Amino acid sequence: MEYLIHLAILFAIYAILSLGLNLVVGYTGLLSVTHAAFYGVGAYTTAILLTRSGWNFFPALIIGMILSGIIALLIGLVLSKFKEDYYALASLGFNIIVYSILLNWQKLTRGPLGIPGISRPSIGSLSFSENWMFLLLALILLVIVYYLSRFLVRSSFGRVLKAIREDEGAIKIFGYNVNVYKLTIFVIGAMLAAVAGSLFATYITFIDPSTFTIDESIFVLAIIILGGLANLKGSIIGALILVLLPEALRFLGLPNDIAAQMRQVIYGVILILLMLFRPQGMMGEYKL
Amino acid sequence: MSLVPQLIMNSLIAGAIYSLMALGFNLIYGTTKFFNLAHGAMAVVGGYGVYYFSKMLGWNLTSAIILGIALAGVLGWLLDRFIFLPLRRRKATNTITLVASLGAFTAIQAIVAILFTSQFQTLDKNTGTSKIYEVLGGIITETQVVILVSGLIIMGALVLLLKYTMFGKAVKAIGDDESVAKIIGINTDKIIAKVFLIGSAIAGWAGIMVGFDTGLEPTIGMNLLLKGIIASIIGGIGNIYGAVLGAFLLGFAENFGIWKISSEWKDAIAFGILIIFLIFRPQGILKK
Repeated sequence: MEYLIHLAILFAIYAILSLGLNLVVGYTGLLSVTHAAFYGVGAYTTAILLTRSGWNFFPALIIGMILSGIIALLIGLVLSKFKEDYYALASLGFNIIVYSILLNWQKLTRGPLGIPGISRPSIGSLSFSENWMFLLLALILLVIVYYLSRFLVRSSFGRVLKAIREDEGAIKIFGYNVNVYKLTIFVIGAMLAAVAGSLFATYITFIDPSTFTIDESIFVLAIIILGGLANLKGSIIGALILVLLPEALRFLGLPNDIAAQMRQVIYGVILILLMLFRPQGMMGEYKL
Repeated sequence: MSLVPQLIMNSLIAGAIYSLMALGFNLIYGTTKFFNLAHGAMAVVGGYGVYYFSKMLGWNLTSAIILGIALAGVLGWLLDRFIFLPLRRRKATNTITLVASLGAFTAIQAIVAILFTSQFQTLDKNTGTSKIYEVLGGIITETQVVILVSGLIIMGALVLLLKYTMFGKAVKAIGDDESVAKIIGINTDKIIAKVFLIGSAIAGWAGIMVGFDTGLEPTIGMNLLLKGIIASIIGGIGNIYGAVLGAFLLGFAENFGIWKISSEWKDAIAFGILIIFLIFRPQGILKK
């Protein structure tokens, strides 16, 4: 049972990450490979505020989201100059730069040693230190993120995003400032990633920079492409499949490290097959 | 050993390795116009190919190296035949092809990790005993001399091949416009297949050299690839001399950049340079 709760918590974290990234990649057509950077900023902000300054989880979460949003704004301003594959490459570069900062700004982050002893969230006398209580919190946040995303993509704002994706030139002619829209959604995506980061930090109670590499960004990208671009339910299902996959492999009797590599092989092959036969993913509405 | 000559030497060696990666990447990009991320995996396959044939099977080094290069080349050819060619026929966008190549990269890297474990391996028979030369106060090993010389030879050979043969003219024609090249009777699929074979073989050689110089891990591919891409872009993508110039510039920038700060910042410096170039001079130093 503990094990199932553990998997469910991981699923909720990855589903939140995927929803945020799908807003950027699926709905707006910006191939961002830097999501793990914002995930990391959220995790580190919460971890540092909790362990050093003795903050409560919830205000720390808000600060993490704001900080992640500000950094996303700066990165997004630079990225707004690029398109398609150059966008992907430059965003990947920012992921590596943020990772380097987490690794090397040792006074603040303790570098490769990581930050241990992060406490679980609580409000007043209500504590989320039990795993099932934490799961409840993660699921509540997931539901909030899901409905927020749904509200966004169904609003007129969301329709402009899709129009940018389909034909940026045309929507410009209608007088929309496309850069403002792109920046806004990029910042929102980053703030949602920070929510996932804060959850991750307080769930595992230990973080180090190795969680926030480009591999993680690629993994989240694989989730949303598998589930379907521009489909929120798809992101949830994609997260479920790719989080459960290594566990299924473990049940087949593969040792842990091989199961982890097998997961990479399988999702690599899935990416290739999808690109060849179904570039929009399982339930997707948009092809890259 | 004094500091500045050694920094110069380290820069030259790094530049030589990056130029090997950049040459193959650039050749493929110049012809097909997409970021082939699987190129990084070719280096890993080349390096581990030699490890398998020479260390695990005990064959002599020369034949192991030839087989390692051939293995990387053939794998590159296979990827083109079964992934990139079908995508080209379907008129897939650059982004789709990029994601497919990312899938191939992920899968190949994980397969190598399953076959050879994630442990650090070195190709050198007895590490630390390779001959050492002192040039102008800096130290360089025999392997590193081979890396430098082979980089220049391969660059020269590529220049001759592309400038003075029918194959080279066909490559240029496809790079300018694939459909026009087809109309004037060039068998574009065949030429592109050969480009993948040659480009991947060069990456294989790069991986082998890294295996002798610093050692192999399944994950070295991404870093090598990214450095190759950065070198290509800052030098001028699609230009052979540009690739080499960019590689050496990058080598110098990285090694002198860490003169006063921790060497962990190398990657951040490299990507910082990339982003500056992408913003201010996206066509690179030598534009095509």
